[in-house]
Amino acid sequence: MSKSLKKLTICKDCGLVLNKPHLDYDHQFHCPRCNALIYKYGQDYLTILLFVFTSIILFIPAVTLPLMSLEIMDLKQSTTLVETLLIFFKNGYTAISILITFIGIVVPLFMLILILIILIPLRLGKNAKYVSKPLKLYEHLLEWQMGEIYMISIVIAIIKLQKMATLDIGLGFYFFLAFLIMMSLTMALFNPYDVWNDDEL
Amino acid sequence: MNYKSDRDLGLVLCTHCNSVFKEEQKVCTKCKSKLKQRDKYSLAKTLSFTIVAIIFLFPANILTMMEVTTLGVVESSTILDGIVYFFETESYLIALVIFVASILVPIFKLVILIYLLYTTKYNKTYLAKNATKYYRIIKFIGKWSMIDIFVVALMIVMVQFGNLSNIIAGPAAIAFTIVVVSTMLATESFDTRLLWDKD
Repeated sequence: MSKSLKKLTICKDCGLVLNKPHLDYDHQFHCPRCNALIYKYGQDYLTILLFVFTSIILFIPAVTLPLMSLEIMDLKQSTTLVETLLIFFKNGYTAISILITFIGIVVPLFMLILILIILIPLRLGKNAKYVSKPLKLYEHLLEWQMGEIYMISIVIAIIKLQKMATLDIGLGFYFFLAFLIMMSLTMALFNPYDVWNDDEL
Repeated sequence: MNYKSDRDLGLVLCTHCNSVFKEEQKVCTKCKSKLKQRDKYSLAKTLSFTIVAIIFLFPANILTMMEVTTLGVVESSTILDGIVYFFETESYLIALVIFVASILVPIFKLVILIYLLYTTKYNKTYLAKNATKYYRIIKFIGKWSMIDIFVVALMIVMVQFGNLSNIIAGPAAIAFTIVVVSTMLATESFDTRLLWDKD
């Protein structure tokens, strides 16, 4: 009985029982009833690891270099991302801002580290059971990470501020933009279900 | 065509590692996750989060989102004021982005959620295909409503000049965050398989 169950799969969106599709690198498989994506192969682990390392390297200048400097009537203020974090803790009223830094910066970085935690043991030949916990966490966070939204918001905030004050965009801004783009790419390429599929190949 | 669902055949899927088991199995043998064919409380959860979102939608749109103080002059603005401001200063694209993200999307999401609850509760299986499509749309656009909150928070952080120029967030920011987060939770706790079950 368990042999025949291995040949089946169930659509996550409509509960339809299907024969398991043959796994290969260049075909997608959709549910015939509700058109949900049942199976798609992601990039191989080495490519993803390279993307993760690139993103993490870009993150360092992004937080340390000034994001922008603002000038209102001879008063100048330049902000780095680290400084913004410090400002949150100085002023008591910015509970929302803490939440937003977490969702926008801390969570994306944490997710990249999670990908490392998942993929390095797999490259070293451990099996999928070993990384089941971080994988579950990663899938949960995927719903809640808002890196790309953060990116758009920065652009809108800058346009809004340009009308209030003189504003110079710093080098840190470009690094941060590059970090967010690389990060979104990494997350698009990494397919968590590959980890389980590989076990069966 | 005659389709068989996991419920008809007495099977259960591990949503974490995609293994299939018989109904009696409680824990996945492969990845040790708990197995559940359907979430009994899915509808109740979605309904309660939707109600919370509808309640907070009103303060979010009526109260002030942001207070800008320039040289002692306080200027408070609601979400709609922010859009009008961009429109007047001829940033039409941004006005449109914020209008869609913070006014249209939350209302659209709530309408779809009510539609999903209705189709599930009254077993309109013939609407299932349509409803699943709408569910995927609201799942995809869900987090984009956060744009406005992010913009306000970023401006608070960037503009800190004491009495000269200062920005603080108003109560609408909190209400709006609650709206967005609870619609996201409502979407996440909804199980689309319930749409397709006929009983």
